[in-house]
Amino acid sequence: METKKPGLEKLGTKKTYDVIIVGGSAAGLTAALYAARRELKTLVLTKDIGGQIAITETIKNYPGWEKITGSDLVKILEKQAIESGAEIVIKEVVKIEELKDSGRELFIVKTHSEDEHTKNGTKLKGEEYAGRTVILASGKTPRSLNVPGESKFVGKGVSYCATCDAPLFRNKIVAVVGGGNSAFEAALLLSSVAKKVYIIHRRDEFRAFEKIINDVKQKKNLEFVLSSAIVEIKGSRFVEAAVLENRKTNKRSELKLDGIFVEIGSDVDTDFVKGLVELDETDQIKTNKNAETSHPGIFAAGDVTDTPFKQIIVAAGEGSKAALAAYNYIHEIENKYVIDWSTHKHEHKADLNKNEKNES
Amino acid sequence: MKIKVYSTPQCPWCDKAKQYFKDKGLEFEEIDVSADPDAAKEMIEKSGQMGVPVIEIDGELVIGFNRPKIEEILKKLNE
Repeated sequence: METKKPGLEKLGTKKTYDVIIVGGSAAGLTAALYAARRELKTLVLTKDIGGQIAITETIKNYPGWEKITGSDLVKILEKQAIESGAEIVIKEVVKIEELKDSGRELFIVKTHSEDEHTKNGTKLKGEEYAGRTVILASGKTPRSLNVPGESKFVGKGVSYCATCDAPLFRNKIVAVVGGGNSAFEAALLLSSVAKKVYIIHRRDEFRAFEKIINDVKQKKNLEFVLSSAIVEIKGSRFVEAAVLENRKTNKRSELKLDGIFVEIGSDVDTDFVKGLVELDETDQIKTNKNAETSHPGIFAAGDVTDTPFKQIIVAAGEGSKAALAAYNYIHEIENKYVIDWSTHKHEHKADLNKNEKNES
Repeated sequence: MKIKVYSTPQCPWCDKAKQYFKDKGLEFEEIDVSADPDAAKEMIEKSGQMGVPVIEIDGELVIGFNRPKIEEILKKLNE
């Protein structure tokens, strides 16, 4: 349903969409599928397709598939989005601004292109897109250890993707840093190719789910190094060792390693929407049950939000909600729940009307 | 023109690189370093690093799916 609102024509060469989705993984691609199937002109802008899913080896808890590889799931999500009519463009969004034109609000989404992203940070050629609504689904990016030697040896023994690089460490000695599901999954994968795998974690307890911890404990070539952190990575051409520090005793020791896999979680990057939408104390985007953010017309879904459970199925579910809420917004249909952003109280619209009636 | 793509089966950027050459109608040799430890060693020695994909176009190496660099090399070879 194409509705020409006043002001859109004034944009001239800017490409205009009903929905612009920032991020191309579970949340973003599901939102794209739903938005496009509602005949909304949909664009996905993303720096990569698949995000965290793309670097996940095996997924056993996505309903509908007993077992599926990350890369296969990404291929299906991408195919569905494209076949439903959404456009996907590989460009990283760097800023979003509002444009109020003849009383009609539009969002200007600014990007730079992956191709034009130069190493020394020289001026990047960007593009601008206009959208009537925006869905923020930019997920999270893996954290680094931030220790000396880390950046020097990226690709030379230091890796952030066991799925991608495990095969290169056949019969070698490797370590996985982390205590969550990703760390354990990486360790399991590596244990089938490497000679020995250490799991190095700064605490005594693990965040990972019980099932995978037990699977890991069955493996004969896996050893835990607890209450410890890597403080330095050493080597000549490639990684040769890591310096460990025991957090309880402060004692340091050196561990001979050929590879180090960093799986210590990930962070959101919401600088591009700072000031536009409300964030929580860890910079995640605040949303309500309708995937609405504090700014009308901007929705958010998945790991980038304050949703407590960072799972693919949750992100996909939220992506569909965001798309449907965006559809309602465009067609000026009111969403069921409202949120008072000063108190963050959710109220069912029907109850609100009831209260209003009583008060008058 | 001889194109080699050193890759592993579960590598999204490897897939993108292979798709890129397929779309351009360019033939390439796919070397699965997870199945072939000698090939893995060769790739690590040649590229001085362990990341995949490593793309070799007539002896010139590109580490990762670095599209601008690949296009630059292809352009040079076609001149």
